[in-house]
Amino acid sequence: MSDRHPLCRYLLRPALPADLAALERLAHASAIGISSLPSNRAALQDKLERSAHAFESEDDATGEEIYLFVLEDLARDGTIIGTSGIEASPGFHDRFYSYRNEFIVQVSPELGTRNRIHTLHLCHDLTGVSLLTGFHIDPAYADGLAPQLLSRARLLFIAQFAERFSDRIASENPGPADDNGGCPFWDAVGRRFFDMDYPSAEALTSGRNKAYIAELMPQSPIYVPLLDEPAQWALGQLHAVGELPFAILLDEGFEADTYINIYDGGPTVEGRLQTLKSVRRARRRPSQAGTLQPGARWQLVSNGRRRDFRAVLLPADAAPTLTLDEASAAALGLHIGEPVLAAALDWAAPAGAEEAA
Amino acid sequence: MKSSNLHVRAVSVEDLAPGNGGLRSLLPGGTDTTLPAPESGEQWLLVERLGADGGRPLACLRLRAGIGLQAPRHWYHVGCVVHAAKPLQLFHRQSTLLLGSDHAGASELADLCWARAGLSLAEQAAALRLLLRAALLQLAQQRHAHGVSLIIELPGPRDDEGRSPFWQGLGRHFYAGEMVGHTAGLAARHGPDWRALVAVLLPRQPVYASFLPAATQAAIGQVDASAQLLPELLGSEGLAYDHHVGIIDGGPVFAACIDRLPALLQARRLSLAEGGDAATSEPWLLALPGQQTLLLRGRREGQVLRLAQALPADLRLAGDALVWALPLELSADPR
Repeated sequence: MSDRHPLCRYLLRPALPADLAALERLAHASAIGISSLPSNRAALQDKLERSAHAFESEDDATGEEIYLFVLEDLARDGTIIGTSGIEASPGFHDRFYSYRNEFIVQVSPELGTRNRIHTLHLCHDLTGVSLLTGFHIDPAYADGLAPQLLSRARLLFIAQFAERFSDRIASENPGPADDNGGCPFWDAVGRRFFDMDYPSAEALTSGRNKAYIAELMPQSPIYVPLLDEPAQWALGQLHAVGELPFAILLDEGFEADTYINIYDGGPTVEGRLQTLKSVRRARRRPSQAGTLQPGARWQLVSNGRRRDFRAVLLPADAAPTLTLDEASAAALGLHIGEPVLAAALDWAAPAGAEEAA
Repeated sequence: MKSSNLHVRAVSVEDLAPGNGGLRSLLPGGTDTTLPAPESGEQWLLVERLGADGGRPLACLRLRAGIGLQAPRHWYHVGCVVHAAKPLQLFHRQSTLLLGSDHAGASELADLCWARAGLSLAEQAAALRLLLRAALLQLAQQRHAHGVSLIIELPGPRDDEGRSPFWQGLGRHFYAGEMVGHTAGLAARHGPDWRALVAVLLPRQPVYASFLPAATQAAIGQVDASAQLLPELLGSEGLAYDHHVGIIDGGPVFAACIDRLPALLQARRLSLAEGGDAATSEPWLLALPGQQTLLLRGRREGQVLRLAQALPADLRLAGDALVWALPLELSADPR
């Protein structure tokens, strides 16, 4: 591992068609994250091309754009260690389905009974809401700062180009499932309408809009007490691979109690862009030449460009001007003096030590 | 059991007197034992077998009009929805249960119960047929007091301990109180409308049957083994399952349009005459003033029913008086 970038080690940038092989490797590896990355080469290539077009397009956004990012480890010659994405307006051509948690209180004074009944309402509330998607990271990097950059930098991108996105942001998180395709929520709900396990249903709908599945699901509210116990326990619970990205989103201020995924019951988080931590803290700051400051707080720093979007983590104090060294300026693709968009994280860089991956 | 041994009449206060165990022994725990108020239009009819030692109650029911208009009544409508995704070649037909009061305003044959001990199924059926026909004759006589439809709620399956698989899989999740056995405690505490109190707690939105346990699904619209006589008897009188079930045990609701009931088409206002031939006569039910019902043999001759036996002296009518009459047998020619 090189030590050329001890304090500016990770770089987030738009994925390129040339990243296909690296993304295939991530899709096939047991990466930590949300498995929306297609393992099919053609589908992946299509996704890369759509993403490249979205980043490059000067036209007004239509809402159907997807933006795919990759995370490089600069200390390993730019090896791609993670990926994440944004869907500008899911359900653009159709509807985006979720179950909304609601509670009904029924009272019988004569019987001395008051019931608070949990119900799930199939809804389209999140249609058109921008969606954070496809968070994958090499497990070797899960405990470091890399996942923070991979997840949060997307919010700076959305804030910078807000006209391309909704002011509401959401993200689906995987619910409990085992390696054999068993999924307690699907088995209790979806399976009754499909007669097949979730992997088979996914395979059946592969390449199609998942609204096909939703249209076969019960349109009236589901009374949760009627579901079996494993399904009730699974509601709003996370699959282990979703814990890391979910924790980051909760820290950002996303709310996780209202919506769940209609297929596996995993929590769908949602929040207003302007209320999210990284967006609230983001400041446009001019840059100046200098040396990075060990011991200062980590800053999420982006160059504010669309097609050549770059974001890094580097330590800096709260001065009006942000200090870049040559390596970090090069990583951001900036000339010293150009402004950056920076948002402070909650952690300080180690004083004089390299951040461990 | 000869029909001539059977007698049908209104339940009286003497039948309910303490120590008179006859009728009370017939009634399940929790059954409403209030005599109908004269102005209510409700009738509580009893079939008994006459013998040397008096009458033995065999079956009883209430005929009510305009149910669910003073106190709410609820049933589940058993519906069907189809979920189809043609591109996926998937097509699913799903049963649903929707709580409602669809039969509000209907007339009802309620609190039907009958004796089983010492009676063959044929004897039970004979008593029930007489009771049903007597109720339908009263309905014909008081047609103006009733609405469009007539219903009867049949008991759903229960196990030996009185547990209903329908309740265990559905209602129990919304009301955890006492519901095992014959719910006598609830009825004793809250009166005959106790089911309306429970209904307040039940799901108001459609429930997909496929979310319910298999035993619960299997119980929807099924009749308890103790009441297997009823579907055929009711069917022969023109009542049929109408895709509603009871909210407690999921038993089927049988219903019919009153004006299309065979008994209503057979019932006639006839004048009575004596001197009929016993050999060619048939059993007829007569609705006499004062809610009295008589079972006598006779033969219809135009607008006259010529009786093969004399009317009791205290029931003699004026010569041109008309009474509502209904042949006991469905096959009898009403013309």
